[in-house]
Amino acid sequence: MRKTLAICRKELQMYFFSPTAYVAFAFYFLVSGFFFSMDFLGNQTVDIRPLFSNFMVVYLFVIPLLTMRLISDELRQGTDELLLTSPASVTEIVVGKYLAAVLLQFILVAGALVYPLILSRFGSLDLPVMWLSYLSLFLLGAAMMAVGLFASTLSSHQMVAGIAGFAMLLVLWMIQWLSGSMLPAGADWLELFSISARTVNLQSGLLDWTDIVFYASFIFVFVVLSVQSLERKRWR
Amino acid sequence: MLEVKKVSKLYTNRRGVEEIDFSMNRGEIVGFLGPNGAGKTTTMRMITGYLNPTRGSILIDGVSMADQPKQVRRKIGYLPETPPLYLDMRVRDYLKFVADLRDIPIRGQKKRLGEVMDMLGLIGREGQVIRGLSKGYKQRLGLAQAILHEPDLLVLDEPTSGLDPKQIIEIRKLIRELGEKHTVLLSTHILPEVNSICNRVLIIHQGKIVSDGKPDELAGALADRFEVNLEVRGPKDAVREALASIPKVADVSIVQAEESAEAAAAGVPNMPGAIESDIDEQAVSIADPDDAPSHDGKALTVSPTNKVEGASILRVKVTSADQTDVREELFYRLAAIGAPILEMQKVSLSLEDVFLRLTTDEAAEESVTAEDLQEAPILPKATEPTNPEKGEDDRA
Repeated sequence: MRKTLAICRKELQMYFFSPTAYVAFAFYFLVSGFFFSMDFLGNQTVDIRPLFSNFMVVYLFVIPLLTMRLISDELRQGTDELLLTSPASVTEIVVGKYLAAVLLQFILVAGALVYPLILSRFGSLDLPVMWLSYLSLFLLGAAMMAVGLFASTLSSHQMVAGIAGFAMLLVLWMIQWLSGSMLPAGADWLELFSISARTVNLQSGLLDWTDIVFYASFIFVFVVLSVQSLERKRWR
Repeated sequence: MLEVKKVSKLYTNRRGVEEIDFSMNRGEIVGFLGPNGAGKTTTMRMITGYLNPTRGSILIDGVSMADQPKQVRRKIGYLPETPPLYLDMRVRDYLKFVADLRDIPIRGQKKRLGEVMDMLGLIGREGQVIRGLSKGYKQRLGLAQAILHEPDLLVLDEPTSGLDPKQIIEIRKLIRELGEKHTVLLSTHILPEVNSICNRVLIIHQGKIVSDGKPDELAGALADRFEVNLEVRGPKDAVREALASIPKVADVSIVQAEESAEAAAAGVPNMPGAIESDIDEQAVSIADPDDAPSHDGKALTVSPTNKVEGASILRVKVTSADQTDVREELFYRLAAIGAPILEMQKVSLSLEDVFLRLTTDEAAEESVTAEDLQEAPILPKATEPTNPEKGEDDRA
């Protein structure tokens, strides 16, 4: 546990010692701020919901940026030799890194609370829906971070890891569109696996435990995949 | 304490290591020697648990790496070829992170960190970002990382590569100090390093261990004649005659030394005599491919006014037919003809020679029996590190 926390702390330090996190944050708040002002000024209504779909699209770009260096940077700098020869197990290493990513995701979501705060000055918000929507954002982002983490184990080049992560997320995202247009027959079945479609219930104020379980197991699968992918390197 | 039992690492497209088998006792400093690509790093990576062997097992204090990875890794300190540093971190943060990673109890952490930084001369740089450290300091920090948890076994992969001579001396001194408390396995392709640090040498070639023994024993086992280098002042022909007449002398070769005036003008200092500077000399020789002749030649400085007609400074190499010591005889003969001996040095078969013999014989053998042509390109590689300068160049 101590090793996991040490790695998590180190990752957070690395995020904020390098410009990566700042650039990603700036991009995220710039774009989401732009959407917020357009939406609010255009509609003149105190409603936060239209914003969430925009946030989700921004995640698609920001999250691969934030996760791409997690493991690929270790591989490139040769610091994986330090981690993999230390008494820490690969699981402890990967979980530590994932924890750091999730904390970052939490900051992203918490930062976006500034928008409802502004809105609340002009009228009352539907608070339960708002909190559930933010929960959905957090879960979605956490799931996307797990995918990005896995992509990061695949290459020692950050860019390759970033693009692979983006591609994987895009596919998981597009399942929804695909099921709607091309495969109407399998739509119901496919939609179960769409990470974005799973937010619909939560964002309309419905707390369905299957959605939570879906995200939890999705994260679990990708963390395990990352562990396996890294463990495999010992057998190169 | 370390047992490597018939360990092989097989790759599909390149040579790994085959049936490596050796053991190390507590307190030994073992030099792991071999040409580039011989499998040194692969073997070390398997010992430290970074790679899993395809076959065979590695035991530390009787515990297998495969069974108890955590317990075994706690006993190993490892410095890879490129020190595993996070360039964006500060020195203290980095060591703190490593301490946490290696289960060093929080209570003793601060004290231990201080000790290690003091030992490696990192005091005063705790707050510096690692990226800004010089190569030598990065290497020290790499070593600090490896010894932080007081491991029983220290595995160092080319600890002095890419450092300048002064840093090399410092790092070697450190390794010698560490060798008092830890068991050390260090790889290198710099031969003088082994002579100056290690008390045992393993030579690996093309994935197999070809030799194992003490540095001087290795030389002794392979030596078949006795050689002496001399520096004599006297007329060339007379000296040759006097020496060749000694019955046991098989070969005399004489080289007229450089004009002493030139050497003096070049500002080459006199040959360092003190034992202390012995290390210096070895360090310098790394950058100098044919160190022995040129070095000695340059070190020759005589005042030009001292010249006698017909007499000049000669560098003489005398080889005896068998292993008989001809030094006394040389002294009397040269004294008889009035040619003073300025310097006399017994040449023992250097590790370089041993290394060359072991690695090139093999290579030659293989070129004959090479089953597939794919093996052939490896040949030049095997002889490459015999030229130390080239090895250094490759890195740069």
